Amino acid sequence: MEKFAKSFPSKPLGAKTAKPWALAGVVGSGNLEVLMERGGKPADAMECQVETSIPGYKASWLAALADFAHHYPAGGTKITINDQGAPPVLVNLRLRQAYDHLTKGDK
Amino acid sequence: MTGAPLFHELTARQRIAALADPGSFTELLPPPERLTSPYLAQLGIPVSFDDGIVIGHARIKGKKVYLAAQVGQFVGGAVGEIHGAKLTGLFKAAARDEVPCVLIIESGGVRLHEGSSGEIAIAETMRAIFECRALKVPTIAVIATDIGAYGGIGILSTCCDFRVMTEHGRLGISGPIVIEKWMGKKAYDSANRALVWKTSGGKTKYLLGDADALVHDTADAVRDGISKLLGKSRAVSLTAVKARQKELAKRLKKFGAATDPDAVWKGMGVRNIEAASLASGPEFAALAKRGK
Amino acid sequence: MITAKSAKRRQNKSERIARVGKLARGKFVSPGNVPEVLRRIIEPGDILCLEGDNQKQADFLANQLATLGKKDLRDIHLVMSCITLPAHIELFNKGMIKQVDFCYAGPQGTAVADLVKAKKFPVGAIHTYNELYARYYIDLTPRVALIAAAKADRKGNLFLAANTEETPAIVEPTAFSDGIVFAQVNEIVDKLPRIDVPADQVDLVVEAPYPMHLQALFTRDPAAITDVQVLMAMVALRGIYEKYEVQSLNHGVGFNTAAIELLLPTYGERLGLKGKICKYWMVNPLPTMIPAIESGWVESVFAVGGEVGMERYTAARSDVFFTGRDGSFHSNRAMGQLAGHYAIDMFIGASLQIDINGNSSTVSKNRITGFGGAPNMGCQPTGRRHPTKAWLKAGAEANPGPGSPPGRKLVVQMVETFQAGRVPTFVEELDATDPGIRKALHGVTPVMIYGDDVTHIVTEEGIANLAACRSVAERQAAIRAVAGYTPVGLKRKKRETEDLRARGIVQLPEDVGVRPSEASRSLLATQDIKGLVRWSNGLYDPPPQFVDW
Repeated sequence: MEKFAKSFPSKPLGAKTAKPWALAGVVGSGNLEVLMERGGKPADAMECQVETSIPGYKASWLAALADFAHHYPAGGTKITINDQGAPPVLVNLRLRQAYDHLTKGDK
Repeated sequence: MTGAPLFHELTARQRIAALADPGSFTELLPPPERLTSPYLAQLGIPVSFDDGIVIGHARIKGKKVYLAAQVGQFVGGAVGEIHGAKLTGLFKAAARDEVPCVLIIESGGVRLHEGSSGEIAIAETMRAIFECRALKVPTIAVIATDIGAYGGIGILSTCCDFRVMTEHGRLGISGPIVIEKWMGKKAYDSANRALVWKTSGGKTKYLLGDADALVHDTADAVRDGISKLLGKSRAVSLTAVKARQKELAKRLKKFGAATDPDAVWKGMGVRNIEAASLASGPEFAALAKRGK
Repeated sequence: MITAKSAKRRQNKSERIARVGKLARGKFVSPGNVPEVLRRIIEPGDILCLEGDNQKQADFLANQLATLGKKDLRDIHLVMSCITLPAHIELFNKGMIKQVDFCYAGPQGTAVADLVKAKKFPVGAIHTYNELYARYYIDLTPRVALIAAAKADRKGNLFLAANTEETPAIVEPTAFSDGIVFAQVNEIVDKLPRIDVPADQVDLVVEAPYPMHLQALFTRDPAAITDVQVLMAMVALRGIYEKYEVQSLNHGVGFNTAAIELLLPTYGERLGLKGKICKYWMVNPLPTMIPAIESGWVESVFAVGGEVGMERYTAARSDVFFTGRDGSFHSNRAMGQLAGHYAIDMFIGASLQIDINGNSSTVSKNRITGFGGAPNMGCQPTGRRHPTKAWLKAGAEANPGPGSPPGRKLVVQMVETFQAGRVPTFVEELDATDPGIRKALHGVTPVMIYGDDVTHIVTEEGIANLAACRSVAERQAAIRAVAGYTPVGLKRKKRETEDLRARGIVQLPEDVGVRPSEASRSLLATQDIKGLVRWSNGLYDPPPQFVDW
């Protein structure tokens, strides 16, 4: 298992979100789970914590998370990830889905 | 031919969202509480925020229910300490509040990584189910996916009042590979998917009366199937158990020597095996005359 | 005038057949006598062709051959397209083979790699199919060919049924050079449905005790197609099929292309593309083609081989598939590969590894799979002269010089940036450049498709139009731009990527009108095998491993 945490600068989240937290994905082989919560500090940073069963891909994780923080106003969120070897395309998809659910709600 | 997403392809959370009246689901012990397994990390397996089961309460067609869905993709939906505690608590709450309980099952049984905590939890849950039934609180198991209901969860599902199945679901105790290992490939070829589903799949279970409803593989059909059973509950009594034993003895007598599941289907009133194999849900039920 | 040499070759054949003597009744050998017959008709130093096609195998003959020893058979020059059976590997273990020339070793890829490491695999070259068949007429003419056919009649005529594959390509050069053709058949009958190989090209026949090995290699279960593959299929349909108006094509079989096939009746229909694309196909009779065929997209399909379970469906749709007078399916690998070279607008397939110059390979030091037909499908046919819309449009983008044809075939590599187990598809240098492999292959790196021939790469990140790149550096930047978060992709430079995107050389899904959130399995014409059976009106008979009802 590999565990790491990092904060990424990101434009602040809007004042209101549809929900206080959102979950996307499932922990299974080749998959991951992303929990995105409000209430991270400071308001212009996206706080991330990743725990993965496949070590050695930290650079790839950090690049994908940095890109996400760059494209979306996600400052003030806390992102916690449980990963079992998901490819980056799924990581991006789940981050986007969690973000959509958090900001716009479930429909 | 396209359109409605198939129920067996939805995630556990999507299933709950599709079955509950819009906006009516409130999750209990949700992910932010981080009630994760205390054991998996030592084995190099990542934890899951809900430990593989989503529980809460909702309304189905206006009626209040306790509703849970297992996450089959997470360690096979198997029951560990936290998962088990949520399951037990759910049925206990149902008994306490006299509110029906619906469980969307997708589990291979006990989570072996966590040893006896899963066993104990399943046993305690079964006791809670019987409490519900003694109070005439309906308990419904939905078995609608390929992972099915096996092991201790297979047993647990038969403790509920009713089972709603689709053709994708399977119900048993030992999995096909285990059966093949003990009985030999000639007796039971686990690679023969048609055989596996004809012996433990939803259609056969419906024919034999082990499933109470056979519905199409869509959320709407499952919802309707659940809703029809929400007002009912069957008491567990000595008379009922004895009657059931008699039924099973009859079944063993009639089909005990059968070497081919088609013989069972024919014996239960299916005339056109090929058409029945391709049919699903109510169409299958129409092609078969369910006898006991 | 008969020269001494031709008399010698013909005489040698007569001697071999004479040695068979009473072990055969006319042409017919009983199964128990096969090993001894093989011993008598094959001589040391012979070029021996063993029918190991992609799908069908002359496995009974191979198994009997593998019971012989080095004292019976040695210095054999083995020529065969596919090394697939343990019996094939056994020939090398026994030291019978002096040299092997082949095309593909998929199922035995690991075993072949082990033989290479043990220096027990003396390979001439890895070929593409038509290249090997061509050499059967030049310098690799088989002296003895062991082939597989469905049926024989009492005269020795052969019926090849749906899986013709390359039997004619093996039989013709052998028969017309005084070689010996020995066929195993499933059944000997009085009258054949049709004659595919005439008796005077066949010397010996055995009715094998078990039917020839034939695998369902090209059946892809729609249930295994992922949302990501649907996304890539949508991107390919809009960014390539629609843009270039691809009318004729070959799909390298895989889940990505199966997703495209299953999106035609739904997504393709929605985009108004029926009649504008995908009318003429060179591809095996894939079950996942059924919905598109039933929806009226397909004019014709020619195939290199059959596919288990599609016999009744193809016979019923003889308006689309090539069938014989007897009503049943016909295929031909050599001609199908030829069609795939000259007569189609586009080839699209996948690979295990692609380097920064767009070269691809499936060979690594632990697994030597070879090429199959990919080098032939995935190269520019500069001999082509007839124009189509797609050929001219792709050609215009490539800006060919005055000494080059004006058109280009679309050669598309469609890959996810990571393979299973998070192994990156994109690499700086191919595993195939491993010195041990290059040494075994006489200094040649086994590249499957060369970057210069590739026009587009499609990943889950988007499309890179390599044909429109004007320099090696530009092409490398375009590849890095779609290589996602692989180490190769992480080296991309932001400014370069943005520039390529502005010029349309790199296109993201949004740029071709596809929203990733739309990509869902529910868009497929059917999501499981059972659905394919329904689409075929019950004519498709899935092999047992795909049936769960």
